[in-house]
Amino acid sequence: MVAFEVPEVDYTQYSNRQLIAVPLAVLAVALGVLAVTFAMTGSPVALGNDFTGGSELTVQSSDSISQQQATDIFGDSVVSVQQVSGQDQYIITFDDSAEISTLTSQAEQAEGITVLQSGTTSPVFGADNQRLAVMGVGVAFLGMSLLAFALFRSFVPSIAIVISAFSDIVIPVAIMNLVGIKLSLGTVAALLMLIGYSVDSDILLNNHVLRRSGGFYESTYRAMRTGVTMTITSIAAMTVMAIAATLFGIELMASIGLVLVLGLTADLMNTYMLNVTLLRWYKYEGVNR
Amino acid sequence: MSVLRENWRVVVLVVLLLGSTVALFVPGAPPGTTANETAGGDQLTNLQYGIDLSGGARIQAPVVGMTAEGVAVGPNEEAATQQAIADRLGVDPIDVEVRAAQQENQNGTVEVLNGTVTNEEFRTALQAEGYQPSTIRDGVTQATRDRMVTSIRDKITTSALSGGRVQEVNSPGGQSFISITAPGRDAQELIDILEERGVVRVYAVYRNDTTGNWTHQQVLSQDEFASISNAQNPNNGGPQVPVTIEQSAAERFQSDMAAAGFGNGASCNVEASDHDSVESINGTCLVTTLNGEPVFIGGVRPSLGQSFADGSFANDPQFVMTTTSMDEARELQLSLQAGRLPADLDFENGNQNTLSPALADQFRTNSLITGLLAVLAVSLVVYGRYRRREVALPMIVTALSEVYILLGFVALAQYPLNLSHLAGFIAVIGTGVDDLVIIGDEILQQGEVGTARVFQSRFRKAFWVIGAAAATTIVAMAPMVAFPLGDLSGFAIITIVGVLIGVLITRPAYGDILRSLVLDE
Repeated sequence: MVAFEVPEVDYTQYSNRQLIAVPLAVLAVALGVLAVTFAMTGSPVALGNDFTGGSELTVQSSDSISQQQATDIFGDSVVSVQQVSGQDQYIITFDDSAEISTLTSQAEQAEGITVLQSGTTSPVFGADNQRLAVMGVGVAFLGMSLLAFALFRSFVPSIAIVISAFSDIVIPVAIMNLVGIKLSLGTVAALLMLIGYSVDSDILLNNHVLRRSGGFYESTYRAMRTGVTMTITSIAAMTVMAIAATLFGIELMASIGLVLVLGLTADLMNTYMLNVTLLRWYKYEGVNR
Repeated sequence: MSVLRENWRVVVLVVLLLGSTVALFVPGAPPGTTANETAGGDQLTNLQYGIDLSGGARIQAPVVGMTAEGVAVGPNEEAATQQAIADRLGVDPIDVEVRAAQQENQNGTVEVLNGTVTNEEFRTALQAEGYQPSTIRDGVTQATRDRMVTSIRDKITTSALSGGRVQEVNSPGGQSFISITAPGRDAQELIDILEERGVVRVYAVYRNDTTGNWTHQQVLSQDEFASISNAQNPNNGGPQVPVTIEQSAAERFQSDMAAAGFGNGASCNVEASDHDSVESINGTCLVTTLNGEPVFIGGVRPSLGQSFADGSFANDPQFVMTTTSMDEARELQLSLQAGRLPADLDFENGNQNTLSPALADQFRTNSLITGLLAVLAVSLVVYGRYRRREVALPMIVTALSEVYILLGFVALAQYPLNLSHLAGFIAVIGTGVDDLVIIGDEILQQGEVGTARVFQSRFRKAFWVIGAAAATTIVAMAPMVAFPLGDLSGFAIITIVGVLIGVLITRPAYGDILRSLVLDE
């Protein structure tokens, strides 16, 4: 078995400006992706059925189903066909123009197809979900920010936590847009979880640097040793969950896993480049002002 | 003794682990279950599975209807107003619900539970009756939603749908809807059950004078009722359901009743709940059945009997069925309407999910495998990092016991498990191990731990970070608990409970375990 030790980074080699440039550039690119998506579709994120309304069938079929074949069976309401890897199961997504009862009976009449799962969300319901999800993420983010300020009671360290949590959410959402994963209730849950997870390592870092004795670099290294272990453990768990759930065709768990992997990886960068830099500036220059 | 006292956190952990074992595996242990109950769960454990993991259907839909608020209608005008509004709108009176103000200085409400009436038509009808509603909005009143939930629950129970759940869900600032979950059915079947009507019959039961045998004679059928009014509780007379008979059937009904010997009234001492069918009833009674089952058994008041005998009943063919409580009256009303729900559900504007038991089984096994693989991955990382079995092993065992206690809690609460909850479990493993890593590092990596006091101070430092991190996770998840976003609230509840169990019980216990390990060295 491979043992791993968290490497000691020599932060003194890099200036604040160098360190902070990378995470800020990535954040800017991510925000750019959201802006472009917004300009093209009217929504910063590609919304899934949970939010726009629409239907979905999971079917078992002896023959493989292509997009064309699905359109032949069900008509023009077919949006996408996705095979559950390694199995004879297909997830077919429809827009909100088709009735779920019609789709189900069309599938049952087609030869060799068994319906395993059917689900439909009306546009009205989807709009309600959208409003609530935005509200939920907003309230959660606000609550987390207030708590961060209450815990550290000084501006720079608290805002560092808030900015890095914001970036941790924006980066995975941008990647989702790029690779074509649509926002579902499951991914919203993952984004919320990310708020909780990403703040862990930030609090740890702030705590070591601000509330403990010892020099800045020593404290940072100690916090890093623990924090990186934590994040890598979580990434390992979520990678396994994302891969296994994708193979098994469990969409909800797969999307939660994937979003958390992306977000936690972004968190490694944000915590140990953005957050560290802000803290170093605060410690050496900010406090003296 | 002192060993136990010093390690009381470990003792609490062990007690909770045992408690969870009881909750999970002893049949009938969770309150509200019986030893042989298996509905919706499996035989091995007391866990309840939701439709994601056992198969079945879930429907969430708003109630069809419109409500006029601020209508000045008096308590005695309810029935007349209902009839008048229904006539003006051309709908069945049971589609109109009039509620007088419950208190002084308040106004009543009028609802139309029929999708074909427009807002404008409704306002015109109300104004024509001399009412000035303050607002007319889509949706129905809380009282009607409560009745919907009760009625649907009754229907689902009588259709032998075991393990079905019906509840009202409110989205903050948005619409309210009814959520129905039924294991082992698909959504279409569930809709059929909800829309299914029963058969209502009324029998006269009396002793035949010549043979001396009890006779059970049908005197009314469903289509002979002209209207069934809402259950009411007037000051004199007690809870009751007024009914009106079709004019065409009234003459025959009164002569049948007179011939059966009800001309002077009849007293009846038979309970509907004691009988499965009208055939077993021996007493001079008027019996109403729904799908063959007696739902109301009553005598006939002398004054009503007189009107049968002298033929005056047919001039005004209505009578009341009196019950002992308002709940009973509501239920009787529902039965007389042949199980018709107080209002329709708007399936078009809701959502539906159906999952076949085969796929659900597959999800159950596969998500278990996924969870175990995630635990294995975490274990490998932790072991790879510390390379000391005595540190890594208790860490993994503690994290697992957190999940085990959480499972025990879920079994005890009889909370139906869905995929989103399982994702919550995996999230809990993640945060759990994170926190154990914080404790482990704080204690092991800052030099030798000489005394219990040094240990204590380091543990307290580690706990500050853990507490802060747990607080943020709870704050981040809390809004989702309150929001009825189906899957999301389950995920949030599991995560929050898991974090609480971790912070309050398992992580302190890990500290105790670690202390005895490092101080022994």
